[in-house]
Amino acid sequence: MMKKFVIALLMLSLSVTAVFAQGSNESGSSVIQENAPIEISFWHIFGDARGQWIEDRVEEFNSMQDEYHVTQENKGSYRDTLQASLLAYRQGSAPTLVHVAEAGSQAAYDSGIFMPISDIGSFDTSDYIEPVLNYYTINNKVNSIPFNSSSPVLYINTDMLVKAGYDKNWTPKTFSDVITSLEKAQAAGVTDAKYTDAIHAWFFEELVAEQGGYIYNNGNGRDARATEALLGGEAGLNVAKFYKDLSDNNLLAWTGKVEDWGGSDNIFTNEKAMYHITSTGDINVISAGAEGKFNLNVGMLPIADNSKRNGTVIGGGSIWLTKGHSQEEMEGARDFILYMTNTENMVSWHKLSGYYPVRKSSVELLDNEGWFDTNSLQTVAFKQLLDTVPNKATAGALGGTVYDHRTYIEEALVKIINGQSVDVAMDEAIKLTNAKIKEYNSNF
Amino acid sequence: MNQNKNAIFKSKTIPYLYLLPTSLVLIIFIYYPTIKTFILAFYRSNFILGTRKYIGIENFKNLFTGALAPGFIQTCIQTLVFAFFVVVLGLGISMFLAVLTNEKIKGAKYYRLLLIWPFALSPAVAGTVFSFMFNPEVGVINIFLNAVFNIKPGWLTNPYLAFSVAVMAAVWKNLGYNIVFYIAAFQNISKDPLEAAEMDGASKFSKFIHILFPLLSPTSFFLLFTNITYSLFDSFAIIDVLTKGGPMGQPPFMDNVGLTTTLMYKIFLDGFGGSSNMGFAAAETFVLMIIVMIIAMFQFGILGRRVNYDV
Repeated sequence: MMKKFVIALLMLSLSVTAVFAQGSNESGSSVIQENAPIEISFWHIFGDARGQWIEDRVEEFNSMQDEYHVTQENKGSYRDTLQASLLAYRQGSAPTLVHVAEAGSQAAYDSGIFMPISDIGSFDTSDYIEPVLNYYTINNKVNSIPFNSSSPVLYINTDMLVKAGYDKNWTPKTFSDVITSLEKAQAAGVTDAKYTDAIHAWFFEELVAEQGGYIYNNGNGRDARATEALLGGEAGLNVAKFYKDLSDNNLLAWTGKVEDWGGSDNIFTNEKAMYHITSTGDINVISAGAEGKFNLNVGMLPIADNSKRNGTVIGGGSIWLTKGHSQEEMEGARDFILYMTNTENMVSWHKLSGYYPVRKSSVELLDNEGWFDTNSLQTVAFKQLLDTVPNKATAGALGGTVYDHRTYIEEALVKIINGQSVDVAMDEAIKLTNAKIKEYNSNF
Repeated sequence: MNQNKNAIFKSKTIPYLYLLPTSLVLIIFIYYPTIKTFILAFYRSNFILGTRKYIGIENFKNLFTGALAPGFIQTCIQTLVFAFFVVVLGLGISMFLAVLTNEKIKGAKYYRLLLIWPFALSPAVAGTVFSFMFNPEVGVINIFLNAVFNIKPGWLTNPYLAFSVAVMAAVWKNLGYNIVFYIAAFQNISKDPLEAAEMDGASKFSKFIHILFPLLSPTSFFLLFTNITYSLFDSFAIIDVLTKGGPMGQPPFMDNVGLTTTLMYKIFLDGFGGSSNMGFAAAETFVLMIIVMIIAMFQFGILGRRVNYDV
């Protein structure tokens, strides 16, 4: 009797749960009422305070008007966000706006799911800072709108610098300056005076761009599709030699993992290094880490000896628009982007995150506020950007194999740090990248 | 009517109906994807571009010749070495620990519980714990070693040490799983042979070798296979968090790909990283499948006969 009761109870609960297993009803309600606001979705990569900032702007935009309704979602990393968007597009439910990393620009362009944002119709891009917009301009069309733009800077532990006999405001200008100052600090007894970075190929690319070097042929991939890897040529060898010199003289500190942003930050904020190169977008993280422990200064990237300073390539990401939307949706997307990246909002974004305020008018506003006088740390990256000579090197490499060549450059750097010859290691990286370029291009 | 005394089912079709749900699950989730992957290996497929082009055996050719081949071969060798150490150390240490907790000591129950706990951790957490502990600059291990012995080994910067740390993390993570099975096996071993041996004056060591080890062989056989599977596939998360494929070794043989890159990790890198050719990754997956098949045939064929199933 008991057994039958239990079986009956199980069958009942099974059937009850089956009733609820109906899937979401959201896609069913495709009947759009005449007065419902047009839906616009924005997928991005930010959690933390930066994600909150985006959420606030979305709420403001929605409350300011009732023609459009924007929703935003943090989809994880750049890679996850792009993959999610591709999958969604191929299933017919693409988000309107997608946050894509700068290095993914060629791939995003080739994927065929995006359309140039300048094709919407009147989109005034004249106020955006030129080198920044330059990066995202492909075939003379502005494809995406820069959102979080950064470049790497040199963070300095000035306490160690002072012990080495330098003035606390001094910043090294060349690779030799870096090595000499580290050696002086070591001689003065500061055994932790070292250089650290995340061993990320982005820094390699930047140090190459400073010297005017190209990563790819065909004008860094901007005159025509890249077919060969140069990895900076002579300029690339200079950068690789810099890492070799540091490592040979026991002046390099790293965690063993490449692309280790957090690990290298830790090394610096725990006073195990005198110099640290990382993004200006992490300025708040590093300042908080240095708080109460040591004095911090920020300098421009050191350049190769005997080279002219060309400037830096912008890093970070931009916002792309997916295809297949009605004219109204596109205009709504445009209005939202223009709002989120307007003058005042870019000022508050810059103050919060350390990313550049990508508009010239925002720069003026900050200047009038006296921001550049009081907050010298943030302004260093700025000066570095505004002084950048707009050319193909500083426009950044354009290619579908950027993530591959970054892996190979990082592997080469690790080999060089562990003693291999610079020429052999870089040759291998070029050979492997060429193999990947050939594969990528055979898709077309 | 056929009166087969061994038949449990009266009708001929009912057994197949009972097998149907499981067969469906196996077909949909295992056999069908396997066949699709095998077919994918003959295409060049880029996930981002959405392209898919038939290229015959070019992917397989690129595995063994061409610029990307040395990396692949090095990866295969590393994978086998990694699996060997994880399995041997994993089973050896867990058996040893399980035997210890089987002794009549105070608090044996609590030791058993504590030894099982690491199993509940996700591999990513295990990897993170190890990566913090072994951080060459600020990790606890080096702070201790530096204070006492004045040495600071580059645990994660030196390729060989990094490989060892990855093995250690993988072994540690799986200890709990192995120990649970061994402890359960111990419950099924009757005390008689052990008592008889003690009365004959056998040492602890010979009791282990001649009685416990053979009686544990069914469990060991099972765990051997699951550990091999674990080391080949599940170690992915630990490697990704700990070394991201690992520091590069020295030429001429070990500098084509990171030293801790196992085949599973390489498949991920080639399929989803960079410019991605899913077909190439599918070809690598196929090779991995062949490796597992060979290991399984070897294990069931040769070792299977040595397993002692009587209690």
